[in-house]
Amino acid sequence: MSSDAPPTGRVRIRLDAEACVGHGRCYALAPRIFGADDLGHCEVLLPEPPPDLLPAARTAVSSCPEDALRLDEL
Amino acid sequence: MDPAAAVDPATNQANPYLPEVAADPVPFYDALREHCPVAGFAGMDGGSHIISRYEDVRWALKRPELFGSDLVAVDIGQDRPLIPLQIDPPEHAGYRRLIDPTLGPHEVARLEDDVRALVNRIIDRFVEDGTVDAHEQFTVPLPCTVFLGMCDLPLDMLDTFLGWKDEIIRPGGGFLPPEEAGPRRRAAGLAVYGYFDALLDERSRDPGDDLLSRFLTTEIEGRRMSRDEMLDICYLFILAGLDTVTSTLDCSLAYLARNPEVRRPLVDDPSGSSAAVVEELLRLHTPVMQILRVVKEPVELRGRQMQPGDIVMLMLGAADTDPDEFGETAGSFHPEREVNRHLAFGGGPHRCLGSHLARLELRVALEEWHRRIPDYRVPEGAELVYSPGIREIPSLPLEFTPAPVPA
Repeated sequence: MSSDAPPTGRVRIRLDAEACVGHGRCYALAPRIFGADDLGHCEVLLPEPPPDLLPAARTAVSSCPEDALRLDEL
Repeated sequence: MDPAAAVDPATNQANPYLPEVAADPVPFYDALREHCPVAGFAGMDGGSHIISRYEDVRWALKRPELFGSDLVAVDIGQDRPLIPLQIDPPEHAGYRRLIDPTLGPHEVARLEDDVRALVNRIIDRFVEDGTVDAHEQFTVPLPCTVFLGMCDLPLDMLDTFLGWKDEIIRPGGGFLPPEEAGPRRRAAGLAVYGYFDALLDERSRDPGDDLLSRFLTTEIEGRRMSRDEMLDICYLFILAGLDTVTSTLDCSLAYLARNPEVRRPLVDDPSGSSAAVVEELLRLHTPVMQILRVVKEPVELRGRQMQPGDIVMLMLGAADTDPDEFGETAGSFHPEREVNRHLAFGGGPHRCLGSHLARLELRVALEEWHRRIPDYRVPEGAELVYSPGIREIPSLPLEFTPAPVPA
């Protein structure tokens, strides 16, 4: 998936499922990276998003009002 | 009156329950956050605290062990706590796991075509007139009719439901003394419980695919819900589901009517712009200005002591216009802002469970309104009055270029 990505540009998204209460900002802003379970809580669909989705990933992670999402540079 | 005058730095007291504050709350919020970040509530005896900075409000929302929701002190006409609004963790989580899926994003997405058709039927009723009371004819019937549909109830119940809701939330228009308001609330509450009790009997004999029938068969932590639990949830749905969408649409249409440049994206590209516009309207106007909590453990915030039993008002509207979170543009409308962590639906475990439905109704209502009524204004000389607390505009006259109802 990320074989053509520069080695330093990879990131991994981490979800603190205990902190998520279903604001739904992540899957509204980056629907290819995040989905919703039946309760409306976050599901990470692409934990290591490809470079073209990185801007959306960063916006979505920053938009969580509960700080339930984190983006680690690999 | 200058809304900021409702904040008194000399006494560290404030009063958000004024129509002039509800009409123009941002100067009030700014004064509150800056001068009295943890204020006393003017006019209330005993311990009361108004929390207004984004960081503090978010902190309190996430700490139900300090700031509980078991508000027996707040009389809204019911016998028992509202489920799940007035239930604290850990019981709260079990109810949410049961109820949230019935209003979750997947379930709600299926309603979009029906809601869109309904919005258009409602617009059909006045679009040829060139004038409308948008509150009475648009923002009130929409959420209530959606709810009737979800419960598979006849549309002719609309006026009965609206009557109950108003009697519970603001009997006599919200200006009655407590000794008169209380009995009226209770009478309406009893009527609601009685109606849903009979309805649940009916649905248990002849279940359908509706919200109420699902309550009858869904299990919570391995057991069926009791009848009282189901009734308490129904009661909350009427209170929380009908009034809040109405007030958000009132605030939104009034603002957009007076600011044609702001509504331009909705007119030019309704479906492309609506999601971001709705989020920014929710943030800037935060129609539920504040929510209440009760202090459970002694706690201190910014030097102010709070004792168990004290009432805390979390001023969501002030948090949502805090420059420390939203920058220099916090007090103005910028749907293009990249990050918008508004708390219009609250936060923490009690975050609004109807938010997915609310967002759908708001988005579709604004898309269809602007597709069919792009040019509208508040008539000259009309003064809009906002109700405090939940910012409804009980009379919202708008005039526009009439258009034919499509064949």
